[in-house]
Amino acid sequence: MTRRAGDDPRANGSDDHGDSGLGRRRFLRTSAVVAGGALVAGCSSGDSGANASGANGSNASSNASGGANGTVGNASGNASANGSVGITSFRGSGPLVESRPPLKGPRIDDLPDLSGTLSVYLGGGEGGLYTQFLDLLQKMYPKFNVKLRTASSSQLANTLITEVESGSPKADVFWAVDLGALGVVANNDATMKLPKKVVKPVPKSFHPNDQWVGVAGRARSVPYNTNKLSANQIPNKVQKFTDAKKLQGSMGWAPTYGAFQSFVTAMRLLRGKEQTKQWLTGMQEQGISEYPDEFLVSNAVADGELAAGFANHYYSLRVRAARPNAPIELAFTKGDAGALINAAGVEVIKGTERRQLAMDFIKHLLTAEAQEFFATRTFAYPMIPGVPPVGGLPTIDELNPPELDLAKLSNLEPTLKLMRETGVL
Amino acid sequence: MSTLGDGRIDIDRGTVLKGGLLALAGAIALAVVAPIAWLVVRAFDMGIESALALLSSPSTVQITVNSALLVAAVTAGSVLLGVPLAVLTARTDLPFRRFWTVLLALPLVVPSYIGAFAFVSAFGPRGTLADLLAPLGVESIPTIYGLQGTVLVLTLFVYPYVFLTTRAALLSFDASQIEAARTLNHSYLGAFRRIVLPQIAPGIAAGALLVGLYTLSDFGTPSIMHYDVFTRMIFVEYNAFGRGRAALLSVLLLGLTVAILGIESRLSADDGNAYAGGRRGYTISLGAWKWPALAFCTLVVALCLLVPLGVLAMWLFRGGPGYSAGGFAFEWSYGLNSVVVAALAALVATVAALPVGYLSARTDGPLTDLFDRMTYLGYAAPGVVVGFALVYFGVRYLPGLYQTLPLLIFGYVVRFIPQAVGTTQSSVLQVDRSLLEAARTLGHSPLASFRRVTLPLIAPGVVAGAALVFLTTMKELPATLLLHPSGFKTLVTYIWQVQDAGYYGAAAVPALVLVAVSGLSMLVILTQEGDDVR
Repeated sequence: MTRRAGDDPRANGSDDHGDSGLGRRRFLRTSAVVAGGALVAGCSSGDSGANASGANGSNASSNASGGANGTVGNASGNASANGSVGITSFRGSGPLVESRPPLKGPRIDDLPDLSGTLSVYLGGGEGGLYTQFLDLLQKMYPKFNVKLRTASSSQLANTLITEVESGSPKADVFWAVDLGALGVVANNDATMKLPKKVVKPVPKSFHPNDQWVGVAGRARSVPYNTNKLSANQIPNKVQKFTDAKKLQGSMGWAPTYGAFQSFVTAMRLLRGKEQTKQWLTGMQEQGISEYPDEFLVSNAVADGELAAGFANHYYSLRVRAARPNAPIELAFTKGDAGALINAAGVEVIKGTERRQLAMDFIKHLLTAEAQEFFATRTFAYPMIPGVPPVGGLPTIDELNPPELDLAKLSNLEPTLKLMRETGVL
Repeated sequence: MSTLGDGRIDIDRGTVLKGGLLALAGAIALAVVAPIAWLVVRAFDMGIESALALLSSPSTVQITVNSALLVAAVTAGSVLLGVPLAVLTARTDLPFRRFWTVLLALPLVVPSYIGAFAFVSAFGPRGTLADLLAPLGVESIPTIYGLQGTVLVLTLFVYPYVFLTTRAALLSFDASQIEAARTLNHSYLGAFRRIVLPQIAPGIAAGALLVGLYTLSDFGTPSIMHYDVFTRMIFVEYNAFGRGRAALLSVLLLGLTVAILGIESRLSADDGNAYAGGRRGYTISLGAWKWPALAFCTLVVALCLLVPLGVLAMWLFRGGPGYSAGGFAFEWSYGLNSVVVAALAALVATVAALPVGYLSARTDGPLTDLFDRMTYLGYAAPGVVVGFALVYFGVRYLPGLYQTLPLLIFGYVVRFIPQAVGTTQSSVLQVDRSLLEAARTLGHSPLASFRRVTLPLIAPGVVAGAALVFLTTMKELPATLLLHPSGFKTLVTYIWQVQDAGYYGAAAVPALVLVAVSGLSMLVILTQEGDDVR
């Protein structure tokens, strides 16, 4: 972004037309001409594009105009401050994305064009949001084609391991919403080491052994109902939740949910089995309710069915994006499992014949544009320091995640044993 | 079996044909069981000690008991609901019978992950009902979670299996017998118990078996209703990369399946002679009972159809939390994909089911029974289990077919073929043997008499079986996710994706399309019933 500070803010479109790369130029021209049409509307109002629900109608329209402003370089607010058409096309919309600061980090312009067919296993329905990003890339690079396979992260990991065992992997890249799944595949000797220059923009803790790299983070959090609790009533240590009187009989969790199991795994790794067992038992004695997933936990908190819960941070943001007045806020614990930051990440599968394309593709995921996409559309924590998270959340360095090798989160088995022994599962 | 003159030759030809048929049925049964056999291999991988530990752990015992309870309760509930409704719509003067028949069969097309979710939204804590009652001072309503809720929801969405098979049996039932019973001064109820019930028992049993095994394999409902059964634990293990443990639990689940099949065979052991024929069609006059009967039908339809459709409509129109879309564009081609794979699966399953179903209906040998029962194993195995078995098989032995439509369709056949076997078998049972003997007397070969006499008579049943396979394939999720060709999206994979991401609003349109298309196949089933009210 800074690179563009001196550019003429009047005509970002033409500025970008001056770039090299035919595909990119065509992409930009299309978006300039068809503002409000397929591309810009399809991308930036995508949040409501898929169905006829009126819920996001207002978001969609405000955002479509935002996209148009960016495209023609109108001097209205942030779009032009950011300068790049690329950014506005990648940026999301809605009440949480109203003011974005200038972004720093590698830009797509600086990377080689993508071309060829890449087979991607995309793990997790959450990852469905990423398909939109893939669509954007494919529109940008007409010669780039993604062959996509979606299922749950663990199913794809099991599938990949089976494929590699038999010597015929079908995927070039595994992109999973869960580092545990990536770790299991890597531990089965099914991945290739990523070069330093690919993983460089990301803090070390999100590429500990360079077998995989995080692309979009998510923080464990405690969503709470602001009508029922105030921030200072939420303990700042997860261990204290078991005897917090205020929380008795009014909390919820989703023990079958992968992210929750990762959180318990983290606790087991940090505090040991005994304390984790005590915590699980203690929470049950507190009268905690069980939900099938953490969106429903967050939703129940917003409804007042629960006073607080354990959930990934973005579910509450999503509730707020749809219901800006919902009485839900996020609290974070400090330096323990409750403050774990997990991530969606990617790895390159051993035996791929498209190594270079796979590496270039991963570089694209770690640009300011891609990170802005993940931050503003999926409400994820960006993995490069130059792009801040949305929703007034503390930045990654303001959170206090525990010191933990995230690759170890793949060792779920002992965690499940604990959860079974305590009757949580 | 044959005429006097050329009896010898005829018997020989018949024996050869029968041997061939037996071999064919055996091959089909083996093919659909083969992938599941892999589970046993996998299960032994984990070592005997940890296997024993897992098998004897309190939670394993608990889920075994839970699963058995659930199967028993849902099967009983489905018979209690399905049989009276079948009698009402097939053999009484209930007003608008056609209309009720269609509506009462439709719950089968609602996928359990939508039906159960709808019930939680409507009757759960903070659900629509609780919201409605809150102003009236009702603080809390009985919980929908746990065994009772799971039984309620599953029963409401699977009883149509019993409803349909019982109807089929009732419709082809020889009416002259009941008239004879009436002449002998039996009441309707007495005649029903002594004449009708024994004859439709195979139909009821076939439906009940499908219900019991479906219950065992269903993951969506117990997991949404917070009830711990095998499928949920298997799912958890797969999620946790405990492939060996998942396989062992699956083997245990298959053990339970074999037990259920054993119970069913014992119960229906003495129904071998239920051949019907002669005049069909009789009607019981309801009289003043018309009104309670109508109220009963209305209640069932309201619970089974209006609740899920209402919740889908709410997702569609309400701008609630997370109900809006998440940037997943829905394409109509997903619907087309669903229809194509489901139709292919129905075709293959029906053709493969013919020899197995025919043999088990026409002969009593232990082998034919075994082949028939073998096809049921895949049906009771959760989709995720069949899916992984075929991933392993495909990668290793059929790399050319892996992640292609043929393997996906084979997976569907493994899972759903018993629905076609069951309907074929009961149709064959209903064919009057004297007709066949007449055909043979007239010099037709066994094959020709099958083609000219049996096939036309069993066609409605066979088509109904195909439609059943079609609609269950339409809503099948776990095996589809594992086996689909990359980039190939269907209605259910799309619904899974948006639901998993928490965007329920986006699931409404494809879910409605799914229900509508499957509803059409239900109409096919019902029009094939033949001499209904026309």
